[in-house]
Amino acid sequence: MSAIISFISRALKALVKSKAFFLLFTLSLVSAIAIAACSNEPKASIPSNPATIESKTESKSGTQKDAMTPSHNKAKININEAILSELDKVEAKLGIAGLSNKIQAARPYTKVEDLVTKKVVTAEQFAQIKDMVGTETIELTGEAKDVDYLTKLGLMKGHMIVAKELLDLQKPDQALPHIEHPVEEIYADVEGQLKERKVKEFKQPLMDLQQLVKSKPNDPSIAAKYNDAIASIDSAIAAIPETQRQSPKFSLQVINTILDTAGTEYRAAIANDKIKEIIEYQDSRGFTIYVEQLYKSIASAMEKQHPDVHKQFTASLEKLKSAYPSAIAPDKPVLSVADMAELIKGNEQAATKVYAKS
Amino acid sequence: MDRQRRKILELGLGGIGLIGGAIACSPIISNRNNENNQPTPKKIVIPPMSLNEAAQTRIKTSGLDPIAALREFDYGKVSQENGRTVREFELTAKSKTVKLNASTDFITWNVNDRVPGPTLRATEGDHVRIAFSNQAGHAHSLHFHGEHASEMDGVKPIRNGAATIYEFEAKPYGVHLYHCHVAPVARHIGKGLYGMFIVDPPTPRPPADELVLIMGGYDIDGDGRNEMYAFNGLPHFYMQQPIAVQQNQLLRLYVLNMIEFDPAATFHVHANIFQVYRTGRGMTPTEETDVITMGTAERHILELQYRFTGKYMFHPHQDAIAEAGCMGLFNVVA
Repeated sequence: MSAIISFISRALKALVKSKAFFLLFTLSLVSAIAIAACSNEPKASIPSNPATIESKTESKSGTQKDAMTPSHNKAKININEAILSELDKVEAKLGIAGLSNKIQAARPYTKVEDLVTKKVVTAEQFAQIKDMVGTETIELTGEAKDVDYLTKLGLMKGHMIVAKELLDLQKPDQALPHIEHPVEEIYADVEGQLKERKVKEFKQPLMDLQQLVKSKPNDPSIAAKYNDAIASIDSAIAAIPETQRQSPKFSLQVINTILDTAGTEYRAAIANDKIKEIIEYQDSRGFTIYVEQLYKSIASAMEKQHPDVHKQFTASLEKLKSAYPSAIAPDKPVLSVADMAELIKGNEQAATKVYAKS
Repeated sequence: MDRQRRKILELGLGGIGLIGGAIACSPIISNRNNENNQPTPKKIVIPPMSLNEAAQTRIKTSGLDPIAALREFDYGKVSQENGRTVREFELTAKSKTVKLNASTDFITWNVNDRVPGPTLRATEGDHVRIAFSNQAGHAHSLHFHGEHASEMDGVKPIRNGAATIYEFEAKPYGVHLYHCHVAPVARHIGKGLYGMFIVDPPTPRPPADELVLIMGGYDIDGDGRNEMYAFNGLPHFYMQQPIAVQQNQLLRLYVLNMIEFDPAATFHVHANIFQVYRTGRGMTPTEETDVITMGTAERHILELQYRFTGKYMFHPHQDAIAEAGCMGLFNVVA
């Protein structure tokens, strides 16, 4: 059965490649006739300066060449948008530890050459990676798209987890923002994908819950509405096959992106060694609890295949959790922002070992 | 972010020169060119602002600099592409604790560590490219007022850690704004994610001392009401440090009401009457008054001159708002 699936998936990929090849070929042909054809990319509506045009043309022919060589068929990595695990490919190419984080921290980039002007890499290093990177918004495909999709649903779950804790603690007012965030901040970002993934739209159950908590915070039907909302997020998550979700490499990408957000939220919650923004503290807690749940699904595989990384992850998740003694924010942070950042960065770097082996 | 590196000031002394340099703000910003044989404009005088000690301390401890926000314009990194002027801006959403007063720390969400964000400036017809990065935790975006294609409308949330590029032609000329458009928008704006976007008309306005005044509100306790207000980020700052302006010289105020939760705020100056260019969309004033009502996100150019030296207050005439921090003084000097 899996052989058949793998065959079909390979055949499909080949088809996509040939389409991509045709598109790229046409593009480069048109750009040879009129440079203005670069405007196929929205942000090249004005052709850039000669240097940029050259690099763009080069890169296209580079990609075109790659398209003919299956082992190198990779879309350029968008240095503005890529998640850390994607940037790890650049990091691996240059062999510079922590480069992915450095690339992310120096965002935004108006052009790839900014990697040099912002001193992220040297000119020599840039020469080695310039064909791998771009700033064009690329429609995510394949695994990257799935990781992105699951990350957003994961953030929704994190919000909902902490919302439930606060509802259980009879704090509907504090639960409300966490019920609102999935629908207000995140839903729009996955909405476009639901149809293609054959997932039922689920804005309404999220809004129903939000409206109920807002207008009748003590209504007994809140529990049922909450379960409806959770069930709909879970069914959106289930659109990604379980086998994929249990793959350490795949899940770690989601985990690290969510943890990264948890760390930033934690930082945004604290001022003068006090937890001032309890919403952000709670977001951070919800994301971390969800990450722990996610990690459980890959824990046994990790233990077998990557015992060292597994040890590090479980230990650091324990420490991270200590930052959140309860859903009600403590007055002072238990874990310092710096310590948390260190733990998260450690996890990201450990994960690169898993990617390298996969 | 390397703000100074990107600072390009346009000078107009008998032509246009582009200078990239480390000049934070300049009295000659407004001395734009007069291409059509107009007499060379007289030099605009910006009286030196010797900051008093309290103001200096406040800038240092608060984390915000209302003096920079007042006369500093970011013209972006300028280049020519296909015979067209391109202006590139780098904006990053950040989270930063601001000391609003001695006892109140407020965690802002902001652009480039400033509240308000930098005042971006272009000329109608320029191609504007804004590289926007989100390093503030929540999903954020930048939505610009003005005309552009729907995919550049900035309502799509950019997740934490990611960046995107918005680009469009700067039009129409006038005073616009940008702000985060991720819901709940009132919270995202209320915490400081906004700034002014000025599109200059193709034929420049006459020279003047140009000042940006953005009214903002702060909901300190998250109850959906503002407890504090400010011009350019810091409550009562311009009361503590009056803004020095020159007597008998054209003063051009770019005023934006960015107060969430209160439906409207007026803008009023003492002892004077100003000319109103609604939304900065005209070259001749449409009315004159000393109090103008502005709903949230409304903005105008107001022009006036002071005949007499001395200190004059400006504030919304919702006096409760003024007294909660949205109040300042012009110090007219000879």
